[in-house]
Amino acid sequence: MSLRQKLLLLLSLMVAIIVAAVAWTVLVRIRMVFEQRDQEETALFVSQFQREFQQRSAEVAAAVDRIAASEHMRSIAFALAQSSDASSFLTDAQSIAQDTQLDFLEIVGPDGNIVSSAQWPARFGYPELAATAGEAAFLKYEDLPDRTTALGIFAARAVRGAEAPVHILGGMRLDQSFLTDLPVAPGMQIYLYNDLPAEAITDVVSKDGPPPAEFDPRLLFSASGAVGTAARFQSLIDSARRGGQPAAAVLYLTSRRQDSVNATAIPLKSRAGAVLAVLVVAVSRSGMVDAQQHIRAIAYGVAAGGILLAILSSLWIAARISRPIEQLAQAAEQVAGGNWQAHVPERGHDEIGALARSFNHMTGELVSQRHRLVQAERVAAWRELARRLAHELKNPLFPLQLTVENLIRARKLPLDEFDEVFHESTRTLGMEIANLKTIIGRFSDFSRMPTPQLEHLDANDALRRVAQLYFPPAARREQTPVADANSEIEFRCKLETASDPLFVNVDPELLHRALSNLALNAMDAMPDGGTVTLSAQSKGDAVELRVADTGSGLTPEECERLFTPYYTTKQHGTGLGLAIVQSIVADHHGTIAVESSAGGGAAFVITLPRAEESVL
Amino acid sequence: MLRQAAISILVAALALSASARTRPHYGGTLRVEVEGDPWQRPGGMARRLVMDGLTTLDPDGAVQPALAIRWASENDDHRWQFWLRPGVRFQNDAALTGAAVEASLTASCGASCPWSVVHAVGASLVFTGDSPMPNLPALLADDLYLIGTPTDSPAGLTGTGPFALSGDLGNHNHARVLANENCWRGRPFLDAIEITGSRSVRDQWLDLSVGRADLVEVPAEQMRQARDQRLTVIASPPVSLLALSLSDSGALANPNLRAALALAVDRTALSNVIFQKQGEITASLLPASLTGYAFLFPADRDLDKAHELRGGVTPPTLTLAAEGGAAMQLAAQRIALNLHDAGFSVQVVNAAAPQHIDLTLRRFTLESSQPQAGMESILRAAGLAVSIRAQTPAELYKTEREIVDAHLLIPLLYLPRAFAVSGRVRDLRLGADGTPLLDGVSLSDVQPDAAP
Repeated sequence: MSLRQKLLLLLSLMVAIIVAAVAWTVLVRIRMVFEQRDQEETALFVSQFQREFQQRSAEVAAAVDRIAASEHMRSIAFALAQSSDASSFLTDAQSIAQDTQLDFLEIVGPDGNIVSSAQWPARFGYPELAATAGEAAFLKYEDLPDRTTALGIFAARAVRGAEAPVHILGGMRLDQSFLTDLPVAPGMQIYLYNDLPAEAITDVVSKDGPPPAEFDPRLLFSASGAVGTAARFQSLIDSARRGGQPAAAVLYLTSRRQDSVNATAIPLKSRAGAVLAVLVVAVSRSGMVDAQQHIRAIAYGVAAGGILLAILSSLWIAARISRPIEQLAQAAEQVAGGNWQAHVPERGHDEIGALARSFNHMTGELVSQRHRLVQAERVAAWRELARRLAHELKNPLFPLQLTVENLIRARKLPLDEFDEVFHESTRTLGMEIANLKTIIGRFSDFSRMPTPQLEHLDANDALRRVAQLYFPPAARREQTPVADANSEIEFRCKLETASDPLFVNVDPELLHRALSNLALNAMDAMPDGGTVTLSAQSKGDAVELRVADTGSGLTPEECERLFTPYYTTKQHGTGLGLAIVQSIVADHHGTIAVESSAGGGAAFVITLPRAEESVL
Repeated sequence: MLRQAAISILVAALALSASARTRPHYGGTLRVEVEGDPWQRPGGMARRLVMDGLTTLDPDGAVQPALAIRWASENDDHRWQFWLRPGVRFQNDAALTGAAVEASLTASCGASCPWSVVHAVGASLVFTGDSPMPNLPALLADDLYLIGTPTDSPAGLTGTGPFALSGDLGNHNHARVLANENCWRGRPFLDAIEITGSRSVRDQWLDLSVGRADLVEVPAEQMRQARDQRLTVIASPPVSLLALSLSDSGALANPNLRAALALAVDRTALSNVIFQKQGEITASLLPASLTGYAFLFPADRDLDKAHELRGGVTPPTLTLAAEGGAAMQLAAQRIALNLHDAGFSVQVVNAAAPQHIDLTLRRFTLESSQPQAGMESILRAAGLAVSIRAQTPAELYKTEREIVDAHLLIPLLYLPRAFAVSGRVRDLRLGADGTPLLDGVSLSDVQPDAAP
């Protein structure tokens, strides 16, 4: 990953995290505020509704009160007191209930038996236990002639002025039409769950009565009828039924959040405290949810925009930071590649600018130093060449001088002695002149290295040619030491070629010359004999040729100066061999290196670029 | 002297005018309102005004000749022969023949006739039956066997009665009949009778009070109320039997259960409250006034015995339907409560509901004051085709006991039939079955010169 990508990622992550944290915090806070406000609103609605419900209960009680105080009822009570014949009042409850718009009305005589019943006229004469006068309205289940049971709000009053207690028990149904008449705020739904216990269903069911039956979704209805999502209210209603206390919860009527409601379940109890029904007030949260989602969408949009802006800014910032560094890196690569003229633009006065100026200064110094070094090396090379030339020339010149001086002195000798001296001196002159010619020839060769004539060659074959030339097959195959032609020194040859061809584009003769030189040097480095190893292997895009010996090795200082012209560790020689080898390798775009340690032998490694396989 | 003469003349004039007021006058239209259909059985008043039967019952319930002047039975009442009254013509002037009577009788009862075969023999009708028909003359007085014949008139039907139909019979809410000038009984006093049906009792009373109706119905349970409202009420003796008709299949195939049901009903509450003490509690098919032995049928409620007879068995929910108006429905509700106290589960249903009904609360009219004929008509109406041949009270009691103990018909109350009349109605009498005999009615506000 590049510096620019790292900077981009880092900056983008930082900004994204910050933006996300801010957005999350805002959203959480907004939700909290909305939820709180929603709950307050719900509580307000519920309390308003409860007041309305109580108002309806009070209306029932007031209606029953009016009936009990009416002249008609007093006359009935008087008649009942005078005579136990209640038959003439059989239908009175019905007509009174119709006039007062009550759903239930019963006239109960002094004996506690029903005189007249509006909801079940045939029940005359049966006892009515609930007709006990009280102040507040109460809930009660009422049996009906069609074998159903209805829940109602009832009130009981005694007829005023009656000598014998005559009671009026009147009530209103707590059913769908009751819910329809209740005022509800927009977004509010009212549900009623009629809790029908398995056994006695009058108001005398005590708190310790039979346990409530299992939740039946068919018993939950609203002002518009059955509730399709009744099952969603089960837990809330059960909580109110079993606990006898109001319960509240957020209910999700469908999978959409907009369909969630704040539901409050209010248990409606009988006089004895048993839960007879549960009133559920559900306030829609759709407004709040929509607002939340709207704000959330805006927050996400802002966050996304912020992150995008952050990414773009990060791109720009990263570019501003990383470009100068990239330029520096490219310039450094160029310098490493040899282009010491590489220059980076110097912008600003910050650390990047200082770094650019330092780099340019460094490359400038390198260039001047290289010039100086090259000049110094040239001077040193010339001095070395002059020294070597003087040394080489001086050796044969001294015998020449002695020989000439001998001839001059020998002129004074007798003729026959002069002839002997003359012949010997002329022979010596000839040898030394030949030696001089050889020295000059080597210098000339070094100065006029030929241009390589490249050919497609298998490097393994070049090694084999060298091995065949300097080592007989037996020595190569069996590693049998072979004696040097001039002495009894024994050399072994180890040929390690690659199994596959290693093609290179080289001048076969020049390469042979270089390898021959290295092989001869290897043998020269083992005065007591040893093993010369010739190996070739593939190194990726290059071919590595290695000539190693088991001699005494080279010191680091020797390794540094080894390829300097005229530098030699031998007693004899011009010191140009390795320089020529280096020149040949360089002309083939390769490199040569030496690996050695004192006492561990030396290995010369030629690395040449690999050529494509031969099409032949 | 002169003063005495003037007083005598004055007294004579008063006497004359008084006697003139008691003499009925011809003319006028009687306006009758009923809850039911004016034509359809049972209780369609217009039928008896338009058609006659072979026999009729007098107000005392005795069988009297009508279109048949005499009859005789043979073969132990398996064969009867009725001779037709000669010279009788239908209102369309067609002669009354045996064939016409045979056709009418056959069309009336179809396959459920008390006789097996009826055929005309000259001017007589011969009835033959596989079972004895000792009460055939009384049975033939039933309005099921009134003689009518189809006609091309808009009414579509004609009879031999004192009134003829005017208008289309298709209008079930209204029937108008006009006096038959050539009735074999003689022309009635009234020119016409208008019977408006499907009128609630409350509306009938309102119309009566404002002078839009002359004769309206007074249900038994509202008789006290009618009198409290100062209506002129005419009531019959208890002639309408309120009884529970039980199915003998399904849950009630067990006779013990039926007996338990019979013991569970509180007749007192029905009589005293629902029917406002206007009825007679009864557990027998015939009223005490007819037999004298009704007390032998206990009518008290016995819940303990009912539970014992039920034997802990909890039968499935029984269905109870009531035929009739609000009072019948209320009575059915009350009976359901009574049965619930005895451990039965009863559901009151609509009588027209397409389901098996276990108990039906019905009214049966005591058509005849002859106990045998009366019992037989009740049983026949209840779908229990039994021929009553008891000759003595003991035999009659035994027969009735057997029938009652089968508990397929549980008698509850005997109720009267009552009507309220306006001040202009004169000489209204009720028949043996409580039906108003309108053919003898006249109106007091008709002027004497309005006679035909």
